Amino acid sequence: MSGPGPPEPGAGPAVEGYLAEVTTRLPGPVRARTGIVAELRSGLLDATDAHRSAGLPPAEAALAAIREFGDPVQVAVGFRDEIAASQARRIAVTLLVTGPLVGLLWIATVAASRLGIHLAPPWPWTGQSPGLSVSIYLVAAAAGVTAWAAILGIAITGRLTRWLPARPRRAPTAAAVAGFGAVSADGLGLALLAAQLAVAPGRLSPVPAAVAAAASLVRMMLARRAARRCLAIRASLT
Amino acid sequence: MRAETLKGHLDGILLAVLEPGPRHGYAIMEALRVRSDGHVDLPTGTVYPALHRLERAGLVQASWSADGGRRRRVYQLTPAGRRALDTERSTWRDFSTAVTALLQPVPPAVSTS
Repeated sequence: MSGPGPPEPGAGPAVEGYLAEVTTRLPGPVRARTGIVAELRSGLLDATDAHRSAGLPPAEAALAAIREFGDPVQVAVGFRDEIAASQARRIAVTLLVTGPLVGLLWIATVAASRLGIHLAPPWPWTGQSPGLSVSIYLVAAAAGVTAWAAILGIAITGRLTRWLPARPRRAPTAAAVAGFGAVSADGLGLALLAAQLAVAPGRLSPVPAAVAAAASLVRMMLARRAARRCLAIRASLT
Repeated sequence: MRAETLKGHLDGILLAVLEPGPRHGYAIMEALRVRSDGHVDLPTGTVYPALHRLERAGLVQASWSADGGRRRRVYQLTPAGRRALDTERSTWRDFSTAVTALLQPVPPAVSTS
């Protein structure tokens, strides 16, 4: 049993109204909210049962359960920080894992292009123009920023959580920096490829180049969306 | 006991409640009330985010179960959670010993002048 499953049928309008008040205040994707709402619903039904066995009629038992759960705004605020941290963590992990994979595709492209056309220089990307070698350093720098921001994001949302002062904006900030870093790294890589295609397309090995370019393009779009989502979540935190 | 008074100790309290075995959210809340003789009575809704934070920190793990028809999220301590609980206990023991000693009424010092 992994997922929350379908909504419990026994929740009345009062409980559903309370849950809606919490839900509208939660940031992030629907998927992140579904499990939280299902868990709160089952808790409210348990509380309703407890009040009913204490002698209250059903409708009053539901109201007593809602009173017991407390201010929906306060509950939502508690979960908001949690959603911010877990979303940031998920994004940071994804960026950290996909970064080296996409990087390897580009290295394979470089290696295949060099081997395929037996170029004399050891590194076909350099030696074309000073601009290209500078661009390669820029890609490396952007990849470095991405990796460090992602590692930071993962570190502060894991075991360290208990020892750090609670600053809910920190994790989405780190994840957003990692996301925009990845956008820059992939964007620069694609720009480099475009430059190579303009200068000497024949020296490229087309299949690995196409695969690497496609991977970078997908990652760039997803990273951009993730980074913007982190900024939106960050803005929703008080 | 108000939520602010408990602040900083809620993690340890939740871990202690889970020490005997896995429990779902509402059962955790009931155990808090029973074990504290009704002194700890937080808004139940605020316990859930705290449990999620403990889960993210790796101190508890949660899974959905459908015991008895209703689907509930059940929490249990991880080995790291048990270690954290031990630390929490000894920290609290030192702290409460020191504060108890400090709050002890002391007879006024006899003036020697």
